[in-house]
Amino acid sequence: MLEEALEHLVKGIVDNPDDVVVDLVNGRRGKTLEVRVHPDDLGKVIGRGGRTAKALRQVMTGVGGRGLRVDVVDTDGR
Amino acid sequence: MSASDNDTVATSEATSDALLTPAGGSGDPALPDADPASSDAVVEPVDVEDESDDDAEDGADGLLVREGDVAGDYLERLLDILDVDGDIDLDVEGDRASVAVVGGQLKTLIGPDGATLEALQELTRLAVAQSTGVRSRLMLDIGGFRAKRRADLTSLASAAAERVAESGAPERLSPMNPFERKVVHDVIAVAAGVRSESEGEEPNRRVVVLPDR
Repeated sequence: MLEEALEHLVKGIVDNPDDVVVDLVNGRRGKTLEVRVHPDDLGKVIGRGGRTAKALRQVMTGVGGRGLRVDVVDTDGR
Repeated sequence: MSASDNDTVATSEATSDALLTPAGGSGDPALPDADPASSDAVVEPVDVEDESDDDAEDGADGLLVREGDVAGDYLERLLDILDVDGDIDLDVEGDRASVAVVGGQLKTLIGPDGATLEALQELTRLAVAQSTGVRSRLMLDIGGFRAKRRADLTSLASAAAERVAESGAPERLSPMNPFERKVVHDVIAVAAGVRSESEGEEPNRRVVVLPDR
């Protein structure tokens, strides 16, 4: 549910919605939602000064609890 | 950087989350502003993935209606995924689209001091801009949070206006977000014998109520 929610939120704000992938990773330090987008959309998901990433984090921790992390993964180098 | 195209962002909040900043100004295409006062306000929608043919919706109001539709779809799907009950009311208030999520258990979507609501409004505006090609100023309310806040701030501002008009001494109000400051400024603007200014930087920006001169 959390992955799907974040995936929906991100798909709506990018040029390449089909390239959006969200994975829920259970780590030692809790749950992390890893977001991957088309390299051209990285700026859109991060936003000016990190504003959009911050908004995504705020919504997801509001819904999934404080311990939930959201990472925007830079796939540029692959 | 195209900092000039949005004056509300030129504050310190940009420094808060030091994330990787997109190089070469990629992610932020300067969208045209939707200015209903100018005749060229209706920019042809780009990137339209809508199946509907929106020939019927023309003019500035048509754009605002379209904004509401896109925002409604975006939020409705989110509620579905989260399995949250809620209805979505769409309206146009003045020159802005107004979207309200009502009913159900909406506390998690409002957050502490409306922080999650603000974040959702931000994302919804981006989703609308993505679909219409025009920057959106739509207002989102969830569970009546803004409506209540507006009522509380209106009485707070009226009381401050009366005190300042009588005493002639300026009064500094608590730090507020842009929505809250606008509510206060609007009240002070029509109150007798006072005017208002904002001072300080986000998130500590506050309204000062001053006697007229």
